[in-house]
Amino acid sequence: MTVVLTRLVDAFALLGGVILLIIVGVTTTNTTAFILDRITGPFGVNVSGLPGYEDFVQLAISGAALMFFPYCQMRRGHVAVELFMDLMPRLLQRLFDTLWLALTAAVAIFLAYWMVLGLLEARSDMVVTSVLGWSVWPFYGPGIASMALWAFVALWQIAGGRADV
Amino acid sequence: MFDPITIGVLGLIALFGLLLLRVPVGIAMILVGIGGTWVLSHVVSYIRFVPYLKQFKSLLWENVANNDLSVVPLFVLMGYIAAEARLSSDLFKGIEALMSRLRGGVAMAAIAACGGFGAVCGSSLATAATMGRVALPELRKLGYAPSLASGALAAGGTLGILIPPSVALVIYAIVVEGSILKMFQAAILPGLIAIVGFIFVIAIQVRLNPSLAPEPAQMDREDRRRAIRRLWPVLLIFGSIILGLGFGLFTPTPAASIGVFVIAAYGFILRGLTGEGLNFAGLIRAIRATAITSGMIYLILFGAEVLKGFFTRTTLPQALSEWAAMSGMDPFLVLGIMLVIFIILGCFMESLAMILVVVPFFWPTLIALNGGDFVTAETAAFGMDNESLKIWFGILALIVVELGLITPPVGLNVFIISSLARDTPMATVFRGVTPFLSAEIVRVILILLFPVLTLAVPRLIGN
Repeated sequence: MTVVLTRLVDAFALLGGVILLIIVGVTTTNTTAFILDRITGPFGVNVSGLPGYEDFVQLAISGAALMFFPYCQMRRGHVAVELFMDLMPRLLQRLFDTLWLALTAAVAIFLAYWMVLGLLEARSDMVVTSVLGWSVWPFYGPGIASMALWAFVALWQIAGGRADV
Repeated sequence: MFDPITIGVLGLIALFGLLLLRVPVGIAMILVGIGGTWVLSHVVSYIRFVPYLKQFKSLLWENVANNDLSVVPLFVLMGYIAAEARLSSDLFKGIEALMSRLRGGVAMAAIAACGGFGAVCGSSLATAATMGRVALPELRKLGYAPSLASGALAAGGTLGILIPPSVALVIYAIVVEGSILKMFQAAILPGLIAIVGFIFVIAIQVRLNPSLAPEPAQMDREDRRRAIRRLWPVLLIFGSIILGLGFGLFTPTPAASIGVFVIAAYGFILRGLTGEGLNFAGLIRAIRATAITSGMIYLILFGAEVLKGFFTRTTLPQALSEWAAMSGMDPFLVLGIMLVIFIILGCFMESLAMILVVVPFFWPTLIALNGGDFVTAETAAFGMDNESLKIWFGILALIVVELGLITPPVGLNVFIISSLARDTPMATVFRGVTPFLSAEIVRVILILLFPVLTLAVPRLIGN
């Protein structure tokens, strides 16, 4: 199970990275179009930017950002204050660590639950983006899956799971 | 029964308690935010908990689906790709070739390279880690004293938080609803002052104690020429990003995107031509590192949003600002106390979390002390309007926040450098970094006395 989980978490992070690279490509194209428009405008040649560019970035970044959470958890990347706990006995440290992991899993499940309700509401309200007119609800999907995976990683770490990706 | 303000104070105490018990910062913020609101709902009749919970249907998604914040992972990715493409190494080698004739010149080059790398990397920790890996072996090989080598790099790493683009500046601007571009512009001069100050500290140290640095050695002519040749494209890329942002030629998101694109393209071309540079494996490593850093930042940002909702309901920030306005305390004394609180908290708290937790309390207080929302520069207590105060205070706050990165007992930059220089005890790194702290104190005093150092560039460009 460890292998499947670590690969899945890694795939989420890499997919988030690919989405970032797509944002880079779209933004670079859009900006280049604006620069070209400034240059060619005086000669009567208009180059338009990408319509709905901001809508796209907004939807894409929502997926990418949340897809990083499970990988960050797996690599213990969520920062904590390492000051006093190091002075505590090992057993107490492990006890607190387990407690915080359980709370992290609870927070992730809580967020996933409410996001599911948010998806259903956005779907029933037919929420769309302002320029592209794309439905918003499908873009809750990556976030919900990421929250569920984040909770799973925290529970796996309680069970002694350690990352090697 | 407790009143809302007391619950707010207890919430603040609970937050710091959880942080000291090593709860991840973002999780602690969420727990206190939700838990505190639950307590409030039992005290204040108009706060109801179930309707409050319903905001979580969209709160997280809307928090991350934010165009302004999209710049954060892009700047983080840009920094990691630049490190993987070995631009950091080219930058250091090139500046070393220019400065190696001076005693202590390689350490000075490391500082300048940290400042340069800060221009493509929004994080102090990433700057310290990247430049530490590049410059530390070279400094040690040349015979620099461990205290000077490690101290210079730990201090140099702090430049990443201020030299634009900086993730911390982006977050601060969002918290105070200010202009990210103006913050970037305002940070240019203080950033340069820091570089000059650190170089000056090295020059004084090696003059007083020549054993800290070896005799300047002449670099092989061919190596020197090659290093300088490789420096130009790096300076061009880094310079165009910092100047483009500084002079408002492009907004942060396009700047970050074009930065990622250009640096990746340069890295791949360099790989094709010389065998060094960026390859596919390096790109994957950069994405994984971005996932960790961005995941951490986004969780803290969301936690701060939840926490902000709780504290706003307690009316604690408003009560604090009203108290400060009525107390008759000298505004500059209050500002000084705020900066000292930043320094103390910075010794054990993550800088972004600190900005997100503390600034929402301090900023309304400063506005109240300055004379209210509609004050003009002529009548304001600080002698400037609120927009200028926003910039001046932001730069001061970030400088003192970064002091925490090199101050005992935590000093995250010191930990990073110490982990890279395994044969150098932590105490030696702290000893090495102490002279640089004095340069930082001088910088804070200069900016306190002459706000124009932060306001000149935004005004110049704005005009």
